[in-house]
Amino acid sequence: MTVRCGDDGVIVLGGVCSVEDAEPLLQMLQTMPAAQVDWRPCHQLHTAVLQLVLASGRVLVGPCGDAWVAQWLGPKLPQNGAGG
Amino acid sequence: MSALQEQFVTEARELIRQATDDLIVLERDGASPERIDRVFRAFHTLKGSAGVVELPAMGIMLHAAEDLLASVRQGVLGGGPDIIDAALACLDQVSRWVDDFEASGALSAQAGEDGRILAQRLRSFLPAEANRQPPGSTASKSTQGIEARLPEWAARLIAAEHDAIASRLPKQASAAVAISYQPIAGCFYNGDDPLQLMRQVPNLLALRIEPREAFAPLADFDPYACNLRLQAICAADRDEIAGIFRLVPDQVHIASVPLDALAATPPDDGDAGVTLVRAVIEAQCELLRVSGRTDDFAGCTGAAARVAANALHHADRPQLADTVARAGAAALVQNDPGPLLAALEQARVELAGTRSTAAAEDGRGAANTAGRPAERVLRVSEAKIDALVNLAGELIVVKNALAHSAKVVEHELAGHEVAAAIRRDHDAIDRLLAELHGTVLQLRMVTVAQVFRSLSRLVRDVSRQLDKNVALVTRGETTEADKTIVDRLFEPLVHLVRNAVDHGIESPGQREAAGKPETATISIEASRIGDRFLIEVTDDGRGIDPAVVRRKASEKRLLPADELAVLADQQVIDLVFAPGFSTAAEVSDISGRGIGMDVVRTVIEQIGGRVSLASRLGTGTTVRLDLPMTIAMSRIMVVEAGGQLFGISMDAVTETVRVTPDRISRIKNNLGFVLRERIVPVVSLAELMKLPERAKEAAAARLVVVMEAAGRIAAFEVDAIRDRLDVVLKPMQGLLENARGYAGTTLLGDGQILLVLDVKEILP
Repeated sequence: MTVRCGDDGVIVLGGVCSVEDAEPLLQMLQTMPAAQVDWRPCHQLHTAVLQLVLASGRVLVGPCGDAWVAQWLGPKLPQNGAGG
Repeated sequence: MSALQEQFVTEARELIRQATDDLIVLERDGASPERIDRVFRAFHTLKGSAGVVELPAMGIMLHAAEDLLASVRQGVLGGGPDIIDAALACLDQVSRWVDDFEASGALSAQAGEDGRILAQRLRSFLPAEANRQPPGSTASKSTQGIEARLPEWAARLIAAEHDAIASRLPKQASAAVAISYQPIAGCFYNGDDPLQLMRQVPNLLALRIEPREAFAPLADFDPYACNLRLQAICAADRDEIAGIFRLVPDQVHIASVPLDALAATPPDDGDAGVTLVRAVIEAQCELLRVSGRTDDFAGCTGAAARVAANALHHADRPQLADTVARAGAAALVQNDPGPLLAALEQARVELAGTRSTAAAEDGRGAANTAGRPAERVLRVSEAKIDALVNLAGELIVVKNALAHSAKVVEHELAGHEVAAAIRRDHDAIDRLLAELHGTVLQLRMVTVAQVFRSLSRLVRDVSRQLDKNVALVTRGETTEADKTIVDRLFEPLVHLVRNAVDHGIESPGQREAAGKPETATISIEASRIGDRFLIEVTDDGRGIDPAVVRRKASEKRLLPADELAVLADQQVIDLVFAPGFSTAAEVSDISGRGIGMDVVRTVIEQIGGRVSLASRLGTGTTVRLDLPMTIAMSRIMVVEAGGQLFGISMDAVTETVRVTPDRISRIKNNLGFVLRERIVPVVSLAELMKLPERAKEAAAARLVVVMEAAGRIAAFEVDAIRDRLDVVLKPMQGLLENARGYAGTTLLGDGQILLVLDVKEILP
């Protein structure tokens, strides 16, 4: 399980986020309507998970652990770079 | 057929029509650059869509046509009639293919060969050097220009990320490409990870990932449907990128980007920047023209206005940027890209011109365009509208039933108050329904423009075939009438126009001898007078000679000689409408194929119209079609005869009278009576319909309905007059389809089927 509910009601994406993680992430986003998403521990992001992150419009705790995503997409997303 | 294929069929037909019109105008009025451009673009778009629906034969042939038009555009070739002929033949072929494609989803086996022959014919006009290039390559300069132009999405991405791209661009870069990757929605199920593919792209300069359609709210979100569009610019070789995306060639679009478009030139400094901003603006225009037809209108318009305004700010043109932003807002409010397109066009022109243009004009332009009335057009299938018309018609039947119920309540139940209440409601429904029916019928109204346009092609072809110079003038193209009427008009108009060119217009030699202008004119004018719809076809040809008609009529024994002798000239001319009459000395290919003016009269009368003809020897002929605007509704009188009910169209009824038996006398073989100094023959409707006559007292007055149709007067004797009704007449169907004497049927309020008589047909 790479999607978990962290302390302070933050959703944490960790390790390799594969296509299977999209469904649990969606449920968590639905049940925690105000939660920020911390994607620092994630070092490989699947398109399905990224799409969900974009669609949710949540504030992200970054930078993303997936360096490629951090470089190309990080700067354009609502970001809480201080680390939550 | 998929939605894409359906769209292709619809759009291809529109493009064919538009290109045909433009080609004809081009030939008539000479080749203006805009018109050639329009024709060229139509062919180009057709070629592109042929590729999308995978019709290679069509693509190859259109490519040849495009090359030919490019040469005309460049002035290498003139737009002579032979070239126009070839281009029109090409459009005819495409039109046939589109029909085939619609019918069977594919082209016939013959298509490849047909296409090749036509392509060869088209190429035969080209100078030898252009011919050497094989089809499929970018053969001419202009096509190259179009292929090489930056796609709008690439221009947008470059404009938005210009600075970042410039800073990342490697100095030794030798090529750059733009990638637009739209994974299919089910790609996750195929095991695809679009990000993973993008990660492999070398020397990435810019990346944008955005939803194709606005994301659904999380509550309805489908996490396994990919709704993303990934766009990138990279400094890499096209082949290398194509290799990375080789497994998804249908989902990716790769375009070469000229390196100078990415170079580190500050956009507000020098021409290159202005050029880029212009490219961005042009791209937005293109985008808007396309998005006018999509659901995501608001998204596209908003984005286009923002991108263009940003680009203009960048180019240090704040006023223009404001204008564009305001026009964008106006476009969103009006739900019409018009204002924004106009503002973008203005910005483009100003950027192209000098910088001295007064800023004050910006505001005025925007005000003008913002004030333009916006009209949105919906494309609705004809079947849906007909269903609506039928429903409204059924409602009218139900409404009539309500009047019947009121009668029953009043007479059989003596419930006068209830009856009065029902009647009040009936009146209210009647009013609303009349309005509803009128509105629904409006939906079926179409302009005659399309019919007129096909005629200009006909005039051109026929006059070329006969070596005559004929100009077609059309007026009142925007006149509207019911679709059924406009559709049925086509055939008679074709006959009339053919006749006019073939028989009416003299040969150039004869015209010269008669002192007439060398180019003859045929004019077609549509107009609306009250609730009638008029079409006049006029030619300035030789006119109809009554003496010739008289001779022909007597040769063909259309009338006994004594009757013919007493006819006035105007009545003689009218004989051209008689079945079996043809004034042409010989049967030609153009007209006179055994179908003559009588067909015109028959068709026009079927749709409730009248044809008349006026001609002056030596000056020309005018044929006038007087038509109703709608045919869906008719007012009838319900009469009873021999124990049955019949409907008679109120158009035919002139009056109803009671006649005492002593006024009816035998005149020759018929009964008749004198009404206001005219002899009116009387027939018993029951007898005519072979129904048992009701026994009558000999002295009782007879009830007769006097009718006039086709210039004749007659009266039916009936037992009673029951009602006057507005009905939706249904044509006779099935076994009764060919039954003569009936105009159609309608349902009565009590559920009975009423046969409506075709008075003209059965009048004694």
